[in-house]
Amino acid sequence: MIPEGFPILLTLMWAIPVLGMVILMLIPNRNERAIKWISVLITAVPLILAIFIFINFDRFSQEYQYAGRVPWINAFNIHYSMGIDGISVWMVLLTALLDFIGAIASWGVSRDWAVGKSVKIYYVLYLLLEAGLIGFFCALDFIVFFVFWELTLLPMYFLIGVWGTEPRREGKIVRGGPYAAIKFFLYTLFGSVLMLLAILAVYFNSDPHSFDITTVKLIGAGPLAVLVWFGFFIGFAIKVPIFPFHTWLPDAHVEAPTPISVILAGVLLKMGGYGIIRVNLPILPEATKYLGTFLAILGVINIIYGALCAMAQTDLKRLVAYSSIGHMGFVLLGIASISDAGINGAIFQMLSHGLLSGMLFLIVGVIYDRVHHRFIVYPKDKELMQEWHLDPSLAGKPAFGGLGLKVPVYTGIVSLAFFGSLGLPGLSGFIGEALSLLGAFGRYKVLAIISVLGIVIGAAYFLWTIQRIFLGKLNPRYDKDAGGEEYDEEYDSHLTEINGRELATLIPLGVLVIVLGVYPSMALNIIKDSVALLLKTLI
Amino acid sequence: MFILGILILAFPITAFAIQILIGKRLSPGGAWISVLAIFLSLICAVGIFVKVLTEPIPPGSARVHFRRVYPSDAIVYLKSGETLEGTIVERIPKRDVKLQEVGKTELTTIPVDEIENIEEGWRWIDLSGRKIPHFTKGGSGGIYIGMRFDTTTAIALLMVTITCSFITLFSIGYMHGDPRYSRFFAYLSLFSFAMLLLVLSDNLFTLFIGWELMGLCSYLLIGFWFERPGVHISPATAGTKAFMTTKIGDVLLFIGMMIAFVSLGSFQFDNIFDGVTRGDLNSGWLTVAGLMIFCGAIGKSAQFPLHTWLPDAMEGPTPVSALIHAATMVAAGVFLVARMFPILTPNASLAVAYIGGFTAIFAATIAIVRMDIKRVLAYSTVSQLGYMMLGLGVGSYVAGVSHLITHGFFKALLFLGSGSVIHAVGTQDMRNMGGLRKKMPITFWTFLIGTLSISGVPFLFSGFWSKDAILGATLGYVMAHPGHILLFLMSIIAAGMTAFYMFRLVYMTFFGEPRDEEAYHHAHESPTNMTIPLIVLAIFSLAIVNPLWFNEDFIQSSHIGATVEEVEHANLLSDTSIPLVSNSSNPGRASAESAVSPLGRPLLFAEATVLYAAEGEHDGNAHLIAMILSIVMAGLGILFATLFYLTKRYSAERVTARFRGFYTVLWNKYYFDEIYDKLFVKPLIGPITGLIGGFDLSVIDGIVNGMGTIWRWISDISGRIDYFGVDGLVNGVASVTIYSARVRRIQTGLIQNYLLLIFGGIGGLVILMLILRAI
Repeated sequence: MIPEGFPILLTLMWAIPVLGMVILMLIPNRNERAIKWISVLITAVPLILAIFIFINFDRFSQEYQYAGRVPWINAFNIHYSMGIDGISVWMVLLTALLDFIGAIASWGVSRDWAVGKSVKIYYVLYLLLEAGLIGFFCALDFIVFFVFWELTLLPMYFLIGVWGTEPRREGKIVRGGPYAAIKFFLYTLFGSVLMLLAILAVYFNSDPHSFDITTVKLIGAGPLAVLVWFGFFIGFAIKVPIFPFHTWLPDAHVEAPTPISVILAGVLLKMGGYGIIRVNLPILPEATKYLGTFLAILGVINIIYGALCAMAQTDLKRLVAYSSIGHMGFVLLGIASISDAGINGAIFQMLSHGLLSGMLFLIVGVIYDRVHHRFIVYPKDKELMQEWHLDPSLAGKPAFGGLGLKVPVYTGIVSLAFFGSLGLPGLSGFIGEALSLLGAFGRYKVLAIISVLGIVIGAAYFLWTIQRIFLGKLNPRYDKDAGGEEYDEEYDSHLTEINGRELATLIPLGVLVIVLGVYPSMALNIIKDSVALLLKTLI
Repeated sequence: MFILGILILAFPITAFAIQILIGKRLSPGGAWISVLAIFLSLICAVGIFVKVLTEPIPPGSARVHFRRVYPSDAIVYLKSGETLEGTIVERIPKRDVKLQEVGKTELTTIPVDEIENIEEGWRWIDLSGRKIPHFTKGGSGGIYIGMRFDTTTAIALLMVTITCSFITLFSIGYMHGDPRYSRFFAYLSLFSFAMLLLVLSDNLFTLFIGWELMGLCSYLLIGFWFERPGVHISPATAGTKAFMTTKIGDVLLFIGMMIAFVSLGSFQFDNIFDGVTRGDLNSGWLTVAGLMIFCGAIGKSAQFPLHTWLPDAMEGPTPVSALIHAATMVAAGVFLVARMFPILTPNASLAVAYIGGFTAIFAATIAIVRMDIKRVLAYSTVSQLGYMMLGLGVGSYVAGVSHLITHGFFKALLFLGSGSVIHAVGTQDMRNMGGLRKKMPITFWTFLIGTLSISGVPFLFSGFWSKDAILGATLGYVMAHPGHILLFLMSIIAAGMTAFYMFRLVYMTFFGEPRDEEAYHHAHESPTNMTIPLIVLAIFSLAIVNPLWFNEDFIQSSHIGATVEEVEHANLLSDTSIPLVSNSSNPGRASAESAVSPLGRPLLFAEATVLYAAEGEHDGNAHLIAMILSIVMAGLGILFATLFYLTKRYSAERVTARFRGFYTVLWNKYYFDEIYDKLFVKPLIGPITGLIGGFDLSVIDGIVNGMGTIWRWISDISGRIDYFGVDGLVNGVASVTIYSARVRRIQTGLIQNYLLLIFGGIGGLVILMLILRAI
């Protein structure tokens, strides 16, 4: 019944969430508990499958594994073709893990939702998102690749728009979930169109016409190749995001509910980096080399600009969002180096950033669930304070301070994530950055030296944030002993220590950050052979 | 030996894990876990020390000592036939090595005894593809890590474990009753691990890991009392400041590492030295690499101009000041420069010497006016670290490293002594002390030994010997290069100042009448678990610790040793003496830059220096003069301190009143904190980031929103067209896109529409392509 060469396992990986959607649809809306449990169980299945694939992954083989290729639309030589190599296996694993953790994290978030925000539909869309992401990382045919690429767009749009924050006026613009959702959608769609054109260009320039990602090539660095390169690149650059296409990111991250921010930063951004590695490098090798310096410069801009922007933020979630821009700059820099250290580093950095940014957004979620705002320092604008339902008399004052005394466990977890992000050796962030830089230094000495500055600024804003939120004297609003007028019993009673469910979502990520930091070969041993194969086509 | 090395690291990191996970439940007894762990490491360190010193060094090779870690993989370098370099080696059963040459498929098996030189290391990060070997220059192969056991390692291990052990023991009493008691010991254990990792490393990469982890511990421990306002500056701010200032040095160090790795393909010291010796790195880049690595040391060892963090680091608990900010971590910078000594070019070395010499005198001037007992010691640390740098800079590896070791002991002693005093009187301000010698005899006598040692009082104390070695080496250098006489002047004057401010401290604290009756009344000798460490460290501050005794070993077991023999060997063969060693009136350096050794390559500065230093040992002139001068200067310093602060023959107040302006500048530490704050910190957290953040929000995002408005017009128009076109499906989409508020009303029905739209769109494209093809 199943045609020969059908990629059964990889199809199951994305089909099970789709099946889960159908199951959820059948459950009555009011039965929220069942919906939540079933959703978590469904997301656990791809995770188990991914771990199974990972364990059985033959790291010595350079073929695509679990691969299958069956004709889909014969007239155009379109195949349903899937398979994974050492690069995509990590992306799939990361997706499955973060989706599972996100499903658990959604429990907490959903408590506060109004009636209009149905938990059922949320999970249905969530599973569709997971199906799209996993399918994307497995796809080996351009049409399949593109379909899954687009498939992620749709649920994301609704998840941010409907389940995100309420609209609020900030100056001239009404920011909030709907605004961010439209911005995200239009931005990505714009990239998709260019990408589609590029795909078609590759198709018509291959002989015989083919959509096969693994075989097609566009040799040379002529005008056509460069144009096609940019078509793909802009599509991916928007997802990464690369300056100046990044402004959807702070909005989308900030307005989305916590688990969706986790998926956005942890997985969605990786689609861009993965796309560049999977498409631009092997299919347009000469154009990539021709434009390498350009790529590296963009990477450096991302690193420095992202870090400086992050430093300017007083909203913790915005700060984390901008830090993502900086960290993805290292991915770009690594790719641009076209060296084994650089590309291995870029992939490792994506993996590490997926774990760390996941942690960071969960961490922001913890504090947001308690005090219902995310300001490190309250905005000076009193109207904005009212939009946030905050006491206008507090405008411009520090919102926290000294929390290390009140919530020590939470402080410890935050420190782990922050130090991981600022590149402390022994944690995964360092390996990614160090390898990317080592690769880049061989080719672009000056650019690598400039981007090192980004590490300093990165350390500065993370430490500054720790200092403003967790160190110093306990903010009198939370200090029962200090008493006095400023003490706010409501706030104080809300600010409780991190709970078991939140810990359950954070600890696996934290453990992986440490393990990969201490023993990076766990990941690199699998990545490096695929990278070696990739580099063979480039050098 | 390798097992001992692993154990040394394993004990403290295990203690850290226990403390951080369940320490709170074990507290306060759990603190003994950390103490036990570090004492076990101490025993292993003794084992390594004995083994390294007793194992004979085979002639012609100092490398026998550099055996590395060998789990499963090995790489083989054949001395001839460079083509095999970096080829893939199969897993070795029983140490027979299988080679696969690039481009060939068959494996050659080579019995182990036919291989001339096996270099084994753990491939911590391995980036070479297994099936398709490819080697791009820069970052090829991977990162190998291992351990290095030479005399420097052995002695440094001993110093680090002894100070760590007794300071951890001291903390049990000192930190008693602290709410985060177990956390403190967790950090101390992690710190011990990091420092030992750094010392044991045979490569820059794990050294850097230890280096950064120490930075983390330093940050955590300075800010340990993060909720307190602090004495001069809040501990939280001091911690951040320390981390950020050293981070600047760290990233520069990383740049240096990148230069080394990309041009030489390895982080391992031996490979780097070999590469440099082969001339794989031209002298320009070599100087840059050396300077960048030195910049890391400037940050970590608080040398001018990155010295400002160290005095503020004194806001941490006193055992931390003793351990991290005096004895071990800050010395890591010096240790790094010592390790990388062979790659320093003449220019780089000169920079090291000048920065070190200047820091020595610069910090000493500030120390003279401090009133806070810990701040005096902090500036004295900065000054002494400057001495070590100076010693290395003028080419005396042995002198620099010896002072590192002796200083580690006596400075730890001095800080713990001050901790004992602070514990007793509850203040750090010397103006509130006085007369404590009767109340705290053990603290007083041990403190006095430390003071005599650091002041360079002759013969009985370790500090005299190591400081004299530095002064002698400096004088020797100056005699060869009279243009750099400033180096010697700075160092000899700083020596006098050191004696002065240390005795000022002793007189103000322990002698005279008590200035604060109440504090004096409460003062008492510290409990036994605090005095034992003092006594032990005092013993180690005596001249029994004199690393100069290991002089020969030092030279032979460092990489330089091999070079010395190489040169001597070549000398014998060519029968022409190398000019730079022969002439003692113009020793070493003068001709080092131009000299070309018989090996047919320019002689490295470090090699020339070592040859000279070895020569200098025989020629005692410089050393004798330096010794006499240093004794005179120490005597003068002590004399003035006595006249001003003990007998009160002269009034310190009158002198300060006389030189009001200069005194104010010193009191304000030459205003470096203020200048840095105005020049770097404020602009960065204020205008610069504000500007960029504003630019992002208004310009970049503004353009996007502007585009959005234009799109909305367009879509509005197209929406109307669609409406008249009576295309319900598309109309629905357009309205959703236009009117955001409607999004929330979306029902599942529309999702299907969307899916339909996407698949429909693809279908449409396919049809389009079909048509195109048909045409």
